[in-house]
Amino acid sequence: MENQKIGCYICTGCGIGDLLDIKLLEDMATKESRIPVVRTHAFLCGEEGLTTIRHDMQNEAVNTVVIAACSPRVHVETFRQLEAPLLDRVNLREQVIWVQHLKEEDDKDVFEEDRQMAAEDYLRMGCAKVKKMDPPEPFDDPGLSKTIMVVGGGVSGLTAAKEAADTGYDVVLVEKDAELGGRVAQMLKVSPVKPPYDQLEQPPTAALIAAVEGHDKIKIYKKATIKETTGAPGLFDVKIEYGAGEYSTGEDSTGEDSTGEDYSTGEDSTGEDSTGEDSTGEDSTGENSERIGAIVVATGYTLYDETKLTHLGHGTSPDVITAWEFEQMAKAGNIVRKSDGQPAKRVAFSLCAGSRDVQHLEYCSGACCTYSMKQALYVTEQYEDASTFLIYQEIRTPGQMEDFYRKVQNEGGVFIKGDINKVASGSNGGLTVDINDKLLRTPESLDVDLLVLATGMMPNIDTTDPNQETDLSASDANSVLNLQYRQGPSLPLLKWGFPDSHYICFPYETRRTGIHAAGPVRRPMGISSSMTDATGAALKAIQTVESIGRGAAVHPRVGDLSYPSFRVDGCTQCKRCTEECPFGAINEDDKSNPLFNPTRCRRCGTCMGACPQKIISFSNYSVDMISTMFKECEIPEEDEEKPRILIFACENDAYPALDMIGHNRGILTPYIRVVPLRCMGSMNLVWVADAMSAGYDGVLLMGCRHGDDYQCHFVRGSALAETRLNKVAETLDRLQLESERVKMIEVNIMDSDILPDKINAFVDDLEAFGPNPFKEF
Amino acid sequence: MAYDLSFAKDVYENAEEGHWIKMCMQCGVCAGSCPLGPHWEFSPRQLFQMIRAGKAEEVLKSESMWMCVSCYHCMVRCPRGLPITHIVHGLARFAVEKKRADKDQVTRRFAKILWENMERGGRIGEMALTTKLYMVNGIPDGVKKGMEMKDQAMSMLKSGRLKMDPLHLSRIRGHAGFKAMLKKAREIEQKKRES
Amino acid sequence: MAEDNTASHTILVVGGGMSGLTAAVEAAEVGYDVILVEKNPYLGGRVAQINQYFPKLCTPSCGLEINFQRIRNNPRISTYTMAEVTHIAGEEGNFTVTVRQNPRHVNEKCTACGVCAEACTTEIDDPFNFDLSKVKAIRKPHMMAYPLRYVMDPEFAKSDAAKMLAEKCPVKAIEPDMEAKQIDIPVSSIVWSTGWTPFDASKIHAYGFGHYQNVSTNMHFERIANKYGPTGGKIVRPSDGKEVKNIAFIQCAGSRDHNYLPYCSRVCCLASMKQATYVRNQYPDAKVTIYYIDLRAMDRYEAFQKKVETDENITWIKSKPASLEENPNTKDPIVIGEDTLTGERYATPYDMVVLATGMETNTALNAKVPAKFVSYDEYGFIVNQGNGLTASGCSTAPLDVASAVQSSTAAALKAIQTVVKG
Repeated sequence: MENQKIGCYICTGCGIGDLLDIKLLEDMATKESRIPVVRTHAFLCGEEGLTTIRHDMQNEAVNTVVIAACSPRVHVETFRQLEAPLLDRVNLREQVIWVQHLKEEDDKDVFEEDRQMAAEDYLRMGCAKVKKMDPPEPFDDPGLSKTIMVVGGGVSGLTAAKEAADTGYDVVLVEKDAELGGRVAQMLKVSPVKPPYDQLEQPPTAALIAAVEGHDKIKIYKKATIKETTGAPGLFDVKIEYGAGEYSTGEDSTGEDSTGEDYSTGEDSTGEDSTGEDSTGEDSTGENSERIGAIVVATGYTLYDETKLTHLGHGTSPDVITAWEFEQMAKAGNIVRKSDGQPAKRVAFSLCAGSRDVQHLEYCSGACCTYSMKQALYVTEQYEDASTFLIYQEIRTPGQMEDFYRKVQNEGGVFIKGDINKVASGSNGGLTVDINDKLLRTPESLDVDLLVLATGMMPNIDTTDPNQETDLSASDANSVLNLQYRQGPSLPLLKWGFPDSHYICFPYETRRTGIHAAGPVRRPMGISSSMTDATGAALKAIQTVESIGRGAAVHPRVGDLSYPSFRVDGCTQCKRCTEECPFGAINEDDKSNPLFNPTRCRRCGTCMGACPQKIISFSNYSVDMISTMFKECEIPEEDEEKPRILIFACENDAYPALDMIGHNRGILTPYIRVVPLRCMGSMNLVWVADAMSAGYDGVLLMGCRHGDDYQCHFVRGSALAETRLNKVAETLDRLQLESERVKMIEVNIMDSDILPDKINAFVDDLEAFGPNPFKEF
Repeated sequence: MAYDLSFAKDVYENAEEGHWIKMCMQCGVCAGSCPLGPHWEFSPRQLFQMIRAGKAEEVLKSESMWMCVSCYHCMVRCPRGLPITHIVHGLARFAVEKKRADKDQVTRRFAKILWENMERGGRIGEMALTTKLYMVNGIPDGVKKGMEMKDQAMSMLKSGRLKMDPLHLSRIRGHAGFKAMLKKAREIEQKKRES
Repeated sequence: MAEDNTASHTILVVGGGMSGLTAAVEAAEVGYDVILVEKNPYLGGRVAQINQYFPKLCTPSCGLEINFQRIRNNPRISTYTMAEVTHIAGEEGNFTVTVRQNPRHVNEKCTACGVCAEACTTEIDDPFNFDLSKVKAIRKPHMMAYPLRYVMDPEFAKSDAAKMLAEKCPVKAIEPDMEAKQIDIPVSSIVWSTGWTPFDASKIHAYGFGHYQNVSTNMHFERIANKYGPTGGKIVRPSDGKEVKNIAFIQCAGSRDHNYLPYCSRVCCLASMKQATYVRNQYPDAKVTIYYIDLRAMDRYEAFQKKVETDENITWIKSKPASLEENPNTKDPIVIGEDTLTGERYATPYDMVVLATGMETNTALNAKVPAKFVSYDEYGFIVNQGNGLTASGCSTAPLDVASAVQSSTAAALKAIQTVVKG
């Protein structure tokens, strides 16, 4: 940083002043680290302490503040008030005085010396760190758009579009069919959402369609598909091929770089026309490009292929139909046997038809119990002497839907827990359904007019697994967005093909920044859940465009203004960064150089950790910065028998866990030096080599759980660090250093109870190897 | 045809509290709560599912609903609020009305004797009731049972807990009114059935 | 009342559990000012007490830490803990909300140095552990508590000992005389996310909770299984500290029951499956029985059920147990009922029984909205009307964590729309 003036403030409160030699620390900061302003205060987080710092910022031109006090997790709000251009914390409390307690067997002088050394090293690292930092300059681009694109015009998409537009954002709605409304619009009624949860309701789509088609902030493309999505959040350019639009496109069908503005001059028929019959769009077709800020994918679901359900009688008789066919039948007011047109008064519903079944869909679709109950009521509504049977495994009516279950029973719906063994045509038309009634414990034979298969939902999303697919030629696969991303055209999918979040706490977390799935495409869900989900997704899309407008990162490093820069002339085209970025932020040019997209970036630093050439750095976080920090520490001579272990700790989980050892006044060996990392993914192997040549006896990495139930907030960070470590073993072997000197452990934020032992075990291992021979040099 | 709902509908409409049977969710609390559990063939929830399945003969001929001792455990615990005790008694009565209940069913016989005894005097005549119950399986058996219980009977007589009224001649006060009430109740019941 | 031109653009979020936290950070990260009001001395609500989440079996503290970071770093969010909303006046776009700030007896100077707690000799029941253990009368509310500030028991605050402790604080943060304050806050819109309370299992007489020592509840069990909980994470039974090698979980303890909560609480099936893994992971030879009516592992959570089902030491019995008894000698609870799939009656003793109690919304208990314009359903859940107050999370329905977060993210947008309308 130019004109950097560092002020170092050592707090003597909370016992720091009593247990450490503050004078020595001050001298060290002044003389060794050459910090121009060094002060101590007994209560730095108090108003007076803050005033001291403010005074220096105003009168001494201090623009970089080092607070040597408590953990960086504590009093963040307090020191944030200083609005210092650069500020860093040195953790003397939780990581030094609170984890080092004199034990009976200890020599007091040695103990105090070790503790003082630790404090000095942390202060050295803090001072060295800020010297290597620059205040981040937020990314900006004059072309940033705040327009939200919603893909899918069903109930989820309509909701997302309406909610975003009602909040004041321009919306582009892309629907593949000629009409909006999706499946829900084709339903007769929907299950209750209002108390007392026992009345079927009108589908919400009619009102939504009217609102969306009449909204002056929403532009609609119908019969439309997305040919290509290039760019990044705020700067997406989406090529839409459409068969019907609300606007006449005129000659401009090349669509290159055209933005929404192009249309405002065209014929504007919005607002008036809420019938969906637009005057110009009917026969207009073409291709167009939209500049988009963020995307909500609400492409809904496809019902499971009923022809695979021969074990439930599909194909046996025309009277075995799907719930969707039944819905249309009911909507036409004509519930009859398809075979002979006779009234269908006895209707059986096979719940979980093909769901929760390893042969078909393994998961539960969440909504079939409820929609089957709704359909049972259709029968009772049409025929006074109706009989309805719901053949189930488990009745799943969570929450207040239990009321609806009771309602359907009260209307005479008969629930049978059992399996269908055989379906055959009945003697007098209709069907005979042989079931194994699990509650009667007898085989029963049920004569019905119709058997309705409640088939489950499959997400309407790209069918190829993007995790397996690294070849861009796969873009001709059936992709909804056709993303032009190095890592493939699709959203990453979880088990069973849903582009859901992996995180319980953060269901809107996405591995493609600014692209959020909503509704049953994300995970199976019913109508009211979909509407809630779509509203939430609209918020996340808005939040993304607003954050990008400020140049700030979105979750989890919310508000971070830094982003990596690439010194491309040093690049060897190894492609590690482009492959490893968990968020697909980095494309490649045709020479395999990285093309970085700042607005896709989540600032984890995985690219920085991946790069063997050290060409990727943040203004306030770099390979050099971390190296410099730990090299600042004093490494005792070999004969002192004081090993040094460098710990890289994930700042999200491992670092708080280490803090908690302090809060619980646990004991940590004084031989460790902890360096927090944004994510283990940012761990660059250069550090291991540097640490070894600097004389550290071992390096311990503390990352989050990886594997199927990974907990890394940046998806793959800890897994990648582990992979990289496998490579370092060879290097260490070559240096004739034991590869066990470098180790990675999984640390959970609640592991403060077991962490000291884990660290001690590592120290013991190292002792067996003896001191690092490189100490000599 | 299994799951022919005509029987179920008959029960829903014509058995006492029968319409509640629709609401059973087969949780099993009633069965687990019943102190007579080891003695019946079908638990209440099983009866209910059989009714829904159209198993008319098996239900109506079953002894299970005659086992109820009206402890009300099932009823207070039923999570769906079914008045199970009442339903079960209603089913017994329904079986009688449908002429499917076994005339020799012991609970049925007991219930009949008890009712006749009570109707006669407006209250229970213990000595007459006991005598009649002892004799149901013939006089020798009755005498044997009576002899077994004679010490207890004597002490009850002495303490006034048992009245010497073998023919059940005593009447409550306002006996005529009591009779009139029963008559009226029967009329109401009849009317209800006809409508 | 504020003039139009000074109308507040602030969003008030009531409740600092997972739902309220989410609504607050999501709205603030769009760029709106948020005031977050929480009645406990810490944020995090119910999930802070939970040992692990299903289906990943990960700790809630991990996600909470991220959310706390989001709050710490965001100047747009102001937090009031130990505070309750006592009155709401005005209307959409222009509310005046009265907040009662209850005394913490520890002011913002507190550095969490712990000198006071070390000196304090008085112990109270620890509410964080459902009174299953003791804690100092002045304490950090729990290990991971945020805000990181101590709190003093209000009864203890009246004592002389409290005054002596106040003298010991090196930064003069302890104020035994601190009194409740009323604050009127103008806000534009309100998100109501006051969460839930575990159903009071002692109301289910037939199950004997409160009488039989080894009958516990699912929320208590979360603390028992937690390594920082009352037993240090050792799953032992309360009567004699014996290792729990044979345990039963009873679903729908109070839920789906017209005598108690007629609705389904949605999460309990999955929570019991998860708790079964706690036992099985701790004791490889332990046996677990789950009594249920219907297993409700909705949608993709089915994978978790499938996974737990592969454990042969877990038995599933489709039955709502009728009652529990206790063997007076062994203190073993005995579960009594009928297996509906076999028709067999059982009376089975266990080392311990856990009642899967459901969620009662706090809007039916202690967090009713103090204003007239809110509509409730029969159970006390709020039915949103679109009038500037949006309920989210378990104030609207019993929800799992992810669904509550979705609901609260959506509520944040509705709140923003009110501000935008002006």
